[in-house]
Amino acid sequence: MIPKNIEKQLNILDYALSSLWRRRLKSLSVLLVFAAVIFLLASFQMVTQALTAKAKQLLVHTPEITLQQMSAGRQEAIALTYSHQLAEIFGIRKVVPRIWGYYFDEVRLANYTIIGMDLSEIPGNALLDTTLLSGTMPEKAEQGKVVVGQSITKSLELGGRLTFSLFRPDLSLKSFEISGEFAPDTDILSHDLIVMNLADARDLFSIPTGLATDLCVYVTNPQEIETIAKKISAALPGVRVLTRPQIQKTYQVVFGWRSGFGSICLLAALAAFAILAWDKASGLSPEEKREIAILKVLGWETGDILAVRFWESVSVSGLACLVGITAAYIHVVYFAASLFRPVLMGWSVLRPELQLLPRLAAGDILLILAFTVIPYLAATVIPAWRNATVPADAALGG
Amino acid sequence: MVTIQPFSIPDELAGYLYVTFFLANIPLGGILARIFFLVPKKTMGTLVMIECRELSKSYLIEKKSVFAVNNINLSINKGEFVVILGHSGSGKTTLLSLIGGLTSPDRGQVLVAGEENWQLSDNALSTMRNSRIGFIFQFASLIPTLTVMENILLPLTFSRNPAGSREMARDILSEVGLADRENAFPSQLSGGQQRRVAIARSFINRPDIILADEPTGDLDEETERDILELFRQYNANGTTFVVVTHNSNLAATQKNARVFSMRQGVLSAHTI
Ligand SMILES: Nc1ncnc2c1ncn2[C@@H]1O[C@H](COP(=O)(O)OP(=O)(O)O)[C@@H](O)[C@H]1O
Ligand SMILES: [Mg+2]
Repeated sequence: MIPKNIEKQLNILDYALSSLWRRRLKSLSVLLVFAAVIFLLASFQMVTQALTAKAKQLLVHTPEITLQQMSAGRQEAIALTYSHQLAEIFGIRKVVPRIWGYYFDEVRLANYTIIGMDLSEIPGNALLDTTLLSGTMPEKAEQGKVVVGQSITKSLELGGRLTFSLFRPDLSLKSFEISGEFAPDTDILSHDLIVMNLADARDLFSIPTGLATDLCVYVTNPQEIETIAKKISAALPGVRVLTRPQIQKTYQVVFGWRSGFGSICLLAALAAFAILAWDKASGLSPEEKREIAILKVLGWETGDILAVRFWESVSVSGLACLVGITAAYIHVVYFAASLFRPVLMGWSVLRPELQLLPRLAAGDILLILAFTVIPYLAATVIPAWRNATVPADAALGG
Repeated sequence: MVTIQPFSIPDELAGYLYVTFFLANIPLGGILARIFFLVPKKTMGTLVMIECRELSKSYLIEKKSVFAVNNINLSINKGEFVVILGHSGSGKTTLLSLIGGLTSPDRGQVLVAGEENWQLSDNALSTMRNSRIGFIFQFASLIPTLTVMENILLPLTFSRNPAGSREMARDILSEVGLADRENAFPSQLSGGQQRRVAIARSFINRPDIILADEPTGDLDEETERDILELFRQYNANGTTFVVVTHNSNLAATQKNARVFSMRQGVLSAHTI
């Protein structure tokens, strides 16, 4: 036997659902608007979360200070001999040269990012191995070993093979063997990436000995980054000194602008939603008022009438949440947030074809609920409450 | 709390209770009755179904306070058939609202089955309405988006026996002559048919009291006769009726009716 209270609530739920069904056109339009707002909110939240996570990932592996040779406002190869001058600056732990560039594969019309660096030189390099799905990072002494991103094996159409070749500038072929693969969750970094040791990159791009693309400087005490950067600037005029906090700030500025723009869009959506809710709140139609009065006269308790409203609103908003969040997930994962492309353009320029791995924490869902479902519930239940608590003589008429 | 349901009083007890009741209505009678007959207070007045004491209600009309109901004293026993005649605006609807606990009085009290309406909590008042009172409104009171059957079952939404209540609803529908229209919507019915659905709805929870506001308003003569006959049957089975109308024929056809007339909120015994 079902307890009496639960049976009563089931009866009320039944009444609420059939009353929604009776007004199916109206219910459906409310549901759609509601779902659209939640879709926007959830999409935005997922993209924001995904980008924040990615940006953080990106920055963890950024050297504390990067040095680039500038000439006429453009970047040029940098002389390795600078390391001697740097060695005199107190607090520098290690200077590691890096060669990187883009390789355009004319056969497959694909762009690869190549990074050549002797990773074993990097302090705390053990961390880098955690970014691998399988295999090991290329060793300094081993020739032709590379670690590649997820899209590379596909793009090179290797099948089961582990070897491939790339052209040097003089069109001679250099062959490589894949010794490892990056994990999918590092995709924003490693998507189109081929990592090799410094000597192989020098060979592939034909960069003369004694030069590199940039120098990565690692410091003993991260608190000293700014001071050391200043000292480097003084010691090496004509060299651009980029610190990790600077890069971080650049990202934040770009990112802040983007979320600011997104917030404005969201505010607009919320405003539209608030108008809808308000319309419903203030405009309890004469029929609705009459229905409440009739139910009251027939002996329904105020609580029963409110419970009907409550279940109606919970059903509508619950369904809207489900539809909206699911649609947002599909939009972000399978359509790469294509509706937000114009806003996100900068990010895709930063990293071509970035694949977003949306995250939606319980906290985010609560946030979305707080912004949508709760106002909606309030907007629907409160006016019913106001109507249900006044004496119901209006329905009798005079 | 001891209550003796009016239906369950054995005949031997009835006479005894009449005495008690008589005593209860003279000064100190209540105390005497309690001392000598040891009757719990609750049971006293169960035979008085409705009691209005110095009941007043006024409305502001064009900034002037106008009495819709003016100092009405009225006592209606269980099983009585009361007709209140009055022109439009004389306060009939207001009086019914007060009795049903839909409107709060400015002054005075309404007791239904011994309990004062406005001493009850909002929920207890709802329960009282749901279990004791069947309302027949002056104007259309059906929910337009519900079918005839759904409208009739509204007072029973929370009862335990939906299957049985459907059967009951069908019986009552055929009593009001609408057996074949249970799935129609109110908009598909004539005014008189809608009125009959409302009448059927007022009977569904087997109320002790029917409060009817111009119940024969939209009915043709033949249907009016049928409905009044139905009222008589329910009345014969113990249901108390308070019918307000401007139609003096109605008073004439109800033989045992106690007839009042109402004028500008004041109630008086009807004289032809
Ligand atoms: N809710 C109300 N607000 C203001 N005046 C009302 C209200 N209800 C009734 N009245 C006034 O009270 C008087 C009696 O009305 P009513 O009880 O409807 O009379 P009847 O039912 O006999 O036609 C009328 O003058 C009417 O205008
Ligand atoms: Mg009236």
